[in-house]
Amino acid sequence: MSIRVESIRKTFGGFTALDDISLDVSDGGLVGLLGPSGSGKTTLLRIIAGLERPNRGRVFFNDRDVTTLDARRRRVGFVFQQYALFRHLTVADNVAFGLRMLPRDQRPSRDAIRARVRELLELVQMDTMTGRYPAQLSGGQKQRVALARALALKPEVLLLDEPFGALDAKVRKELRRWLRHLHEQIDVTSLFVTHDQEEAMEVSDRVVVMSQGHIEQVGTPLQVYEQPASRFVFDFLGHINALEGQYDGRLWRDGEASLRLDTHGACPNGDLTLYLRPHEAELARQPSDSASLPVRVAGRSVFGGTVTVELEPRGWGRGIVEVEVDREAWRELDPQRDEPLFLLPRDLQTVTCDGDLGPRVRPA
Amino acid sequence: MPRHWHQWALILAAFGAVVVLLVLPLVLIFTQAFSQGAAVVADNLTSTDMISAIKLTVIVALVTVPVNLVFGVLLAWCVTRYEFRGRKLLTTLIDIPFAMSPVVAGLCYLVVYGGQSVVGQWLDDTLGLQLMFALPGMIMVTVFVTCPYVARVLIPLMQSQGTEEEEAAVLLGASGWQAFWYVTLPKIRWALLYGVVLTNARAVGEFGAVSVVSGLIRGETLTLPLLIQMLNEDYNSVGAFTAAGLLAALALVTLLLKTVLEWRQRHKIDAAQEVTP
Repeated sequence: MSIRVESIRKTFGGFTALDDISLDVSDGGLVGLLGPSGSGKTTLLRIIAGLERPNRGRVFFNDRDVTTLDARRRRVGFVFQQYALFRHLTVADNVAFGLRMLPRDQRPSRDAIRARVRELLELVQMDTMTGRYPAQLSGGQKQRVALARALALKPEVLLLDEPFGALDAKVRKELRRWLRHLHEQIDVTSLFVTHDQEEAMEVSDRVVVMSQGHIEQVGTPLQVYEQPASRFVFDFLGHINALEGQYDGRLWRDGEASLRLDTHGACPNGDLTLYLRPHEAELARQPSDSASLPVRVAGRSVFGGTVTVELEPRGWGRGIVEVEVDREAWRELDPQRDEPLFLLPRDLQTVTCDGDLGPRVRPA
Repeated sequence: MPRHWHQWALILAAFGAVVVLLVLPLVLIFTQAFSQGAAVVADNLTSTDMISAIKLTVIVALVTVPVNLVFGVLLAWCVTRYEFRGRKLLTTLIDIPFAMSPVVAGLCYLVVYGGQSVVGQWLDDTLGLQLMFALPGMIMVTVFVTCPYVARVLIPLMQSQGTEEEEAAVLLGASGWQAFWYVTLPKIRWALLYGVVLTNARAVGEFGAVSVVSGLIRGETLTLPLLIQMLNEDYNSVGAFTAAGLLAALALVTLLLKTVLEWRQRHKIDAAQEVTP
């Protein structure tokens, strides 16, 4: 079932949580709503579920207008951030709840309910814990039960609010993969909320980046990462270094640092800010023809395939510049503490004078 | 464990005060009641005045408790589930019966519903109904005096539990009533019982407000506390202490129930906090 929201506006008192939001989620999609806290993503999810009424705008499931339809009749599966399992019911009774609430003429028989519950708990690999109470489960287990409960009525729309937010890093990673897999197994359109960039990038088919009640960009994970539509998106997707300096049409300078670039879009007074992603630079003992950015190593963290290096600019810049270099390259370079090095950016993102994203540039 | 002698002294003083102020009077009630033997106690217990007082007390409690049960749940529901203007004011207003002397409450009811008042006269003229100096008035003031207990016990619990489980129930197709019956009620049942126990104890023991509106008609509008007062004034000390013993025994049962329920509720709140850190 496709989900469409049109010109949704929602205010709480004087605070505008959502401002003219329109979004289309196609049938069978797995879409991540990504944004910092306060960006309105959870409010949007709750409006789609029917837990909140928008001040303006409409919500459609397929082509049916459900804007004024009661939450209980929307038939969406919903997983709460804190799971909201019924604490006085066992795992099995939690999962059976939706089936038991059906009107008598639609309610399956006792045996059919039991069979369906077993089937669901097998699906989420919780079939050995049917008699436990929520307080006796770990976070990841609660998460699975909450999901089984949400799927009991075979919803065509599954909404998840920060589904992995309350779990520790290792369990989170495992469950992410598992959710992706589950989504492929069952015929459902899923929308999940997250503030974790990595999570959105890994799990979703498409990412909706939100900030301050607006949608900044909608696209595949690759699109939003490689072609960010706004400074906010670029900023939000991973760490960036902002290099502020002056551009004279050929050279970008900041104190002791200089870069030879061919670009436009600097401010009339010559100010030009460049964004550098940590993995789009290298380190060397000598400056190159086009780049001379003297730095010294202030700290490093070796974890996984890359080494994250904190660099302190020498005679330019403000604060630390963070880059990620290949572990092999790091070993070859083997820099000593306080040894003078040079930063060699491969790709840079220009920022225009009015704060938008300009063209991407390479030192040449 | 306390280490210094003055800590032990304080603890001993506390125990001493409890014995002198609370336990001793309680023990004396029973010794006084039985001072002339069990037969006299039995006689007093079966006297018509006593039986009528017991009946009246039970009737007042039987009406008051369900009324305040429903009222308390509704109020707690409104205050914890809806955001509205005046919510704070409402939670403050609930406490009026706590803050006000019961005698004052009784007098207020007398002024509003008594035979001299507009409302009282209108009721008497049209329906032939007399509220004051009769059972309805006594029930009304008891309801007033005991109305905060259930709400006061429920509000903090329901606040700590939040509304997500109810929302989950509604999204699973439950009606508002089903969500209340299958989700909210099981979550609050121990607190609710606790509130009921408190309400009942207060309803049975209420003296001030009831004495103002009862009119003290022997065999008709005397509840147990009022009867104790009357018997005491009649110098029937065994009778007074027998009735008092009855109330005291009830109080002890209540205390026991309250302790058990408090213990269970604490477990519930702990569990709630485990779920929502």
